[in-house]
Amino acid sequence: MSDCHSASVPLQPVTLRVRERRPLLALAGQPNVGKSTLFNFLTGLNQHVGNWPGKTVERREGSFSINGHEYGIVDLPGTYSLTANSPEEVITREFILREGPDLVIAIVNAANLERSLYLVAELISLATPLAIILNMMDVAKQEGISIEPEVLEAALGVPVIPMTATRANGMQAFYQTVQEILDGRHVSTPRLPEIRADHRATLDEILSHIQGYVPSPYPESWVALKLLEGDTEITRTLQNNLPAEKWEAVYNLLRQHDDALLAIASGRYEWIGRMVRAAVVHPKIGQISLTKQLDRWAVHPLWGLVILAGILGLVFWLTFTIGSPVQGWLDAQIVGGLTGIANQLLASAPFWVRSLIVDGVLGGVGAVVTFLPIMIIFFAVFGLLEDMGYMARAAFVMDNFMHMMGLHGKSFLPLFLGFGCNVPSILGTRVIDSKPARFLTILIAPLVPCTARMAVVAFLAPAFFGSNALFVSWGLILLSMIALVLSGTLLNKIIFKGQRSAFIMEMPLYHVPNSRTIGLLIWQRSLSFLKKAGTNILAMALVIWALSMLPNGDLNQSYLVQFGKWVEPVGRWMGLDWRLTVALITSFPAKENAVATLGVLFGSSPDAALTQTLTSTFSTASALSFLVVTMLFIPCMATVAVIRQETNSWGWTLLNIALFLVISIAAGAGVYHLALAIGL
Amino acid sequence: MLEQLVNEIRAGGTLETGALADRLGTTPQLVEAMLEHLQRSGLIQAYVSCSDGCLGCSLQAAWKKPDSGAIRLWQSKSED
Repeated sequence: MSDCHSASVPLQPVTLRVRERRPLLALAGQPNVGKSTLFNFLTGLNQHVGNWPGKTVERREGSFSINGHEYGIVDLPGTYSLTANSPEEVITREFILREGPDLVIAIVNAANLERSLYLVAELISLATPLAIILNMMDVAKQEGISIEPEVLEAALGVPVIPMTATRANGMQAFYQTVQEILDGRHVSTPRLPEIRADHRATLDEILSHIQGYVPSPYPESWVALKLLEGDTEITRTLQNNLPAEKWEAVYNLLRQHDDALLAIASGRYEWIGRMVRAAVVHPKIGQISLTKQLDRWAVHPLWGLVILAGILGLVFWLTFTIGSPVQGWLDAQIVGGLTGIANQLLASAPFWVRSLIVDGVLGGVGAVVTFLPIMIIFFAVFGLLEDMGYMARAAFVMDNFMHMMGLHGKSFLPLFLGFGCNVPSILGTRVIDSKPARFLTILIAPLVPCTARMAVVAFLAPAFFGSNALFVSWGLILLSMIALVLSGTLLNKIIFKGQRSAFIMEMPLYHVPNSRTIGLLIWQRSLSFLKKAGTNILAMALVIWALSMLPNGDLNQSYLVQFGKWVEPVGRWMGLDWRLTVALITSFPAKENAVATLGVLFGSSPDAALTQTLTSTFSTASALSFLVVTMLFIPCMATVAVIRQETNSWGWTLLNIALFLVISIAAGAGVYHLALAIGL
Repeated sequence: MLEQLVNEIRAGGTLETGALADRLGTTPQLVEAMLEHLQRSGLIQAYVSCSDGCLGCSLQAAWKKPDSGAIRLWQSKSED
């Protein structure tokens, strides 16, 4: 038995217990490294499948012959280690230790050696002869990973056979190596993982206590190591086999060294690191180094935020310089033109029919459809950032910032997802184990501005604020973030009580964006937006139109005006007249409805676009207040439905609606009066 | 090495595999292998995909393509 805690222990040439019958080989490896492919290739029809005794895990064994030599072979279950964490791991180690195959063949993934070698680090410490198959060499090559099998063999001290099992490449070398090992013509000098010096002394002490009490066929040094690793099965076995005083001594040692589990695994990972450094050259040095250089800025705690703010600014700048003029043109030329045509064609039709088409459909949905250029810019820029790998950095930078602000990490990531839509952010809170913490995170999640709200702002801000629209939009996002940070910090103090948690992200490499991917994304999202405009928004526009017509076709006596006048006193606190207040309320089914409602209420005109009408109707203070309230208003119906579904409570759902009503009204009133005070 | 990684995670905050690899003097691939090890040991957990409702989410493509160089996330297990 090899000493499992010393490095580079030269072993005697492996002495084989070659059976009188055919030699038995065991295929070991992690799941999905190609074990079954090799097993099927070797055995063909000479295999049978059953179950391992007492387990539901599949047992596959068979035989094959090469050059007149016959071999038995067992395909062991896929495992990550030899610790008793799962039935598969117990089966694998019990088979190797009890059945004593003549050769264990560990299959590793050449494209990801770091992940595959942990099992090898355990197998190499056993007495059973070991050979490594470096499978998926083709995948490694495709990924630009260069591996030197002979260097890896020298580093490991056991035979290494490069192979692409799916193409049967490397089979000749495999047969030859297996035969050489079984004939005793291959000398193995395995280099073993080390463990920390203090744990090594403990290991020796445990070994001294258990010597003579370890049931056959377990090697004593292996059992000592597994005890130190906290292996439950081995611990139970030794507890039953050791005299009470011996067990107490061992138990006390284990209690004093409960960190040994990590230390032993750590030693194995250092060993893996050495093996990989020796034999593997990772690819795309240029791309990695470019990513590293860019990330020096992109994920920097300060500059990362500046870059993110700059990108958001750029999105709005593009919207205002390209999207808004196109939107204005569509509104004036297409919607205005269609309105003119409809008025002419329907001149002799009943008033309500003309009004339905002109005010209801063209005024409402037409106004929203003219959003499309603005939405396309959002979709294109976010799609581009997503595809080139920046969005992960944005999440990282924001998460880092929120941690600095004291927000619990588990809350923030779901919140960040809300930048696209609040629905996934509510669903994302499922990762929060604590129910109160999860519910409170759900409560604040809609504070994250979603694309629909940003589009409404992008549509209205230039109308109200002209060249200052960029700064106003920026300020509105900042306001939402401030509200989020304040709520989050409060949440952290009250619910999480300042606990620390960590998020670990794997960043993709930056790469040149794929125009087809982005084009497809823009197409799909634009289509989804138009579908929404043609269904939900159209329905809401028609309801608003109907309410503005009923009961007698006179707007001033309509139900809508009556309702608007009823809620107007609340709107007045925020400087909003009944029309803006109604527009806000109708944004509940979908945020874009705010624009559709304004379109219906202000009518579609061939002479003046909606934005121009709005500019001339409302003061700057009222406009600013309206945008602030829009950003902070109660979430849309889909989000509320998901809140109900996830909390399974109408109480929490209503509390959420009430909270956002209070926050938005308070913020709107505050901003309105502040704006008046400074003379806006 | 694994102990150092666990200490970094216990300290909390937002961590990135490339930066962790630099601090630990190893490769991002080995850090990822260790994170998967810690995940199997129950010390950290992988972030749950929200692919059942993430239309409009800017990271949705990443969740759906875990092996294509996209984003993967882990989080420390909470004590709450």
